[in-house]
Amino acid sequence: MNYPHWQLAIPGGMLIALVAVLHVFVSHFAVGGGFFLVVTESFARRKKDAALLDYCRRHSTFFALLTLVFGAISGVGIWFTIGLVSPEATSSLIHTFVWAWAIEWVFFFVEIAAAIIYAKTWDSLPARDHLIVGWIYFVAAWMSLFVINGILTFMLTPGRWIETQSFWDGMFNPTFLPSLVARTAVSFILAGIFGYITLPRHEGRERVARWAALWMMVGGMVLPLSLWWYFERIPKFSQLYLNGVLTGVRHAVRGGVSFTLLAMAIALVCGVWKPRWMRPPVVALLVVCGLGMIGAGEYLREFVRKPWVIDQVIYANDLRAAQVESLQAKGVSHTANFLLTTDTASAAYGENLFHLQCGSCHAAHGYRGMNRRVDGWDAEFAADILQHIHMLRGTMPPYAGNEDDRKALGRYLASLNPPWKLNITDANRLEVGEKVFAARCGHCHTVNGNFRPLRGTFEKQSASQVQEIFPVLGSINSDMPNFNAPDDQAQALAFYISHEANAPLSQKAAPAEMPTGTTRSQLARPALPRQEVR
Amino acid sequence: MQTLPIPHVDPLPLPGPVWLFTALLLVVFTLHVAAMNSALGGGIWALWNYLRGRHSEHPFSRRLARELAAMLPSFLAFTVTLGVAALLFVQVLFGNFLYTSSILIGALWLSVIPLVMVAYYGFYYFSYTAEKGKGIAGCVLAISVCVLLGIAFIFVNNMTLMQSPERWLQMYRAHPNGWNLNLGDHSLVPRYLHIVNGAIALFSAILAHLGMRRMKVDAEYGRWIVQRSAMVFAACSGLQFLFGMWLLLAIPRQIAMSLLRDPLTGAVFGLALMSVVCAVLLVLLGSLAEKPGPLVHAGFGVSLLTLFLMVCLRYLLRLAYLKPYVSLGALAVRPQLGVIVIFLFLFVGGLATVGYMLWLVARSRNARVRAEVPN
Repeated sequence: MNYPHWQLAIPGGMLIALVAVLHVFVSHFAVGGGFFLVVTESFARRKKDAALLDYCRRHSTFFALLTLVFGAISGVGIWFTIGLVSPEATSSLIHTFVWAWAIEWVFFFVEIAAAIIYAKTWDSLPARDHLIVGWIYFVAAWMSLFVINGILTFMLTPGRWIETQSFWDGMFNPTFLPSLVARTAVSFILAGIFGYITLPRHEGRERVARWAALWMMVGGMVLPLSLWWYFERIPKFSQLYLNGVLTGVRHAVRGGVSFTLLAMAIALVCGVWKPRWMRPPVVALLVVCGLGMIGAGEYLREFVRKPWVIDQVIYANDLRAAQVESLQAKGVSHTANFLLTTDTASAAYGENLFHLQCGSCHAAHGYRGMNRRVDGWDAEFAADILQHIHMLRGTMPPYAGNEDDRKALGRYLASLNPPWKLNITDANRLEVGEKVFAARCGHCHTVNGNFRPLRGTFEKQSASQVQEIFPVLGSINSDMPNFNAPDDQAQALAFYISHEANAPLSQKAAPAEMPTGTTRSQLARPALPRQEVR
Repeated sequence: MQTLPIPHVDPLPLPGPVWLFTALLLVVFTLHVAAMNSALGGGIWALWNYLRGRHSEHPFSRRLARELAAMLPSFLAFTVTLGVAALLFVQVLFGNFLYTSSILIGALWLSVIPLVMVAYYGFYYFSYTAEKGKGIAGCVLAISVCVLLGIAFIFVNNMTLMQSPERWLQMYRAHPNGWNLNLGDHSLVPRYLHIVNGAIALFSAILAHLGMRRMKVDAEYGRWIVQRSAMVFAACSGLQFLFGMWLLLAIPRQIAMSLLRDPLTGAVFGLALMSVVCAVLLVLLGSLAEKPGPLVHAGFGVSLLTLFLMVCLRYLLRLAYLKPYVSLGALAVRPQLGVIVIFLFLFVGGLATVGYMLWLVARSRNARVRAEVPN
């Protein structure tokens, strides 16, 4: 609300993810690859292995071209992107960690200078001096990772910083060490993967292939242990996300594990066992696996932080937690600095609010498009559900606006799809009921699933008994929106719920019991799934 | 009180005193501009000499283009590296202005990243192929130089826009997708010309300094570089006066007047004028002298001093623009003393480490030269 919102066709968070994943991919290689180079060079010189030394020389040119240009510039790209998409959060991070970044910059400066000198002086520097430069590079690169790791982990686990606001508490937060070990392990894996790109064609091929595989194996063994350690240190609600409560997270976990295992399998088969099989297509597949591994990891790291970008300080939509109450009281039109219109009755205002409040993670259409999520919503229902938006799955920030704002945004969300025209018959009643359930209830409930299951409430009830509850939903529980669907949809929905709640349970289904207890946290954070998910 | 839509400053206090951030900003920005001038000015010099050197009657041009080709990627590397530090410190002091203007030109601002990559890889390509003197090396270098000129234009847009909050809301409402430029600002064009021309000028002074070093190996070639660069340095410095005057006339009258009335700004301005005249005279006289060394080196030093003074002047100009909206002295400060000390310690250590690596390189080069000279 403080800054203008950069209106993009894709969610702003996706833009950050795109830049960040590519940067992290190369920058971790810059750390591990530097270590790989200097250790390999040292080994080659000691063994007087000319082929291996020649490999190091060629690899260092590739290394410099990739890390100095793409790696370094994409790092600046993250700075640019987060400043454009989340200026409030960036400003907070800068005010907390400017000296950490300044220190990181010193290491970055040394790293760049060392990389240039290392790549350029194979013929001119004595062996000992060249190795010294290589070691300086690695130490500077790893220290750069050390510092940045503190800032990144702070965003999910600020720890005691919340009370003390002390730099040291923020920097050396609960996940600092496990994350550092995990990132170092990843950098080893990437060192091995990228090591294959300049694999010699003839002499030394087998030695290099096995050597690179060894690096991958070492990283691959340390990584799961460090991730387990990391998992133990993250907040409980983040653990629940990772435990498979959300479909996207489940896919990312499976994807990350699969890519890593596939990479390890390739390293064993084509790196250790049959190095002659390590041909360009296989290397390309390895690179894809590495990118997939990083992509999944970064996606999960970002996702488990939701709804926050800085835990308990700033929400994912760049809204300060401290501002929410004021916005709910005064309304956005009286608070935001940059609005396209302040006419709260206009359609443009609703669209503007959508970009302001939702645009960081959602677009109207396409990837993370809201049109699919609000299909079947009318303006009244949309405006009502916005009050409870933080209740959905615990990943959404609270809605920050007054009633006029909610109505305006509700109208906009309802306008994303044409109104439903359903012809309900006995033949399609169940199917339509399922569709209505997905639109009206499925964002917060399942019938027989493990997320706020309704079976316990509706088991042994007929469709008409289920339907009787609909009109009083809002008064039964203040966290529920009012039910306002047309009668035919209500009938179909009641039929579906009754049918599903009375269907025999499969063995894997969760116990059919309504979660108990209140769902609001004392920390004024959105409802924690921990309290609700069985 | 202003009613413009200026974002509030961050509720967290500044983690260090304003004077320290200001000093660091001025120092690293000066170094960044020196590196940027080397990349842009050096690129233009390399392109001109590469094209000229394709004809056999200009062997020195070909040689100079080749030598510059090897340096350009490093110049750009340090432009970026030093620019990161400047970006860091300017965000601390003026974040609410910089983030806003960046978002307003977001699409173009973000395009800087791929553009820098294109220029950077272009420089690398040129460095690997310039030796042959044929093919598309010249075209690639020309693209890199054009891209750098484009990046400079985007930067000038952002830097002028961040100090013009009165334009923001209208601009945002026109194009909330970030496809804006600050073309309505009268100071945009002279400021851009001042920066681009300044880059050529300063790199010419740097080149004169490099020419002196070449004279030790090849007197004729070295003198050729010194004379050429001195001439360009003098010509561009003359043009700088014109662009500077244009810039002064283009900025709003009350800001120009407040600048001229301010004793500190007046002193910096006067010193900058004197130092640039002094630098031009020293380099020109040096290029004509029998032993140009001391004069050219002094001229190079004074031109760096001029650059620092111009950076200070630019900072004072920003303060004058933002005077109605910002008071740096009123910002809450809670210094993180322990970390500041560690940073300063590491900063010195980092410089020493880079110095040590350069010393290793110089030592081995000297050893090679000694080995090549017959006893």
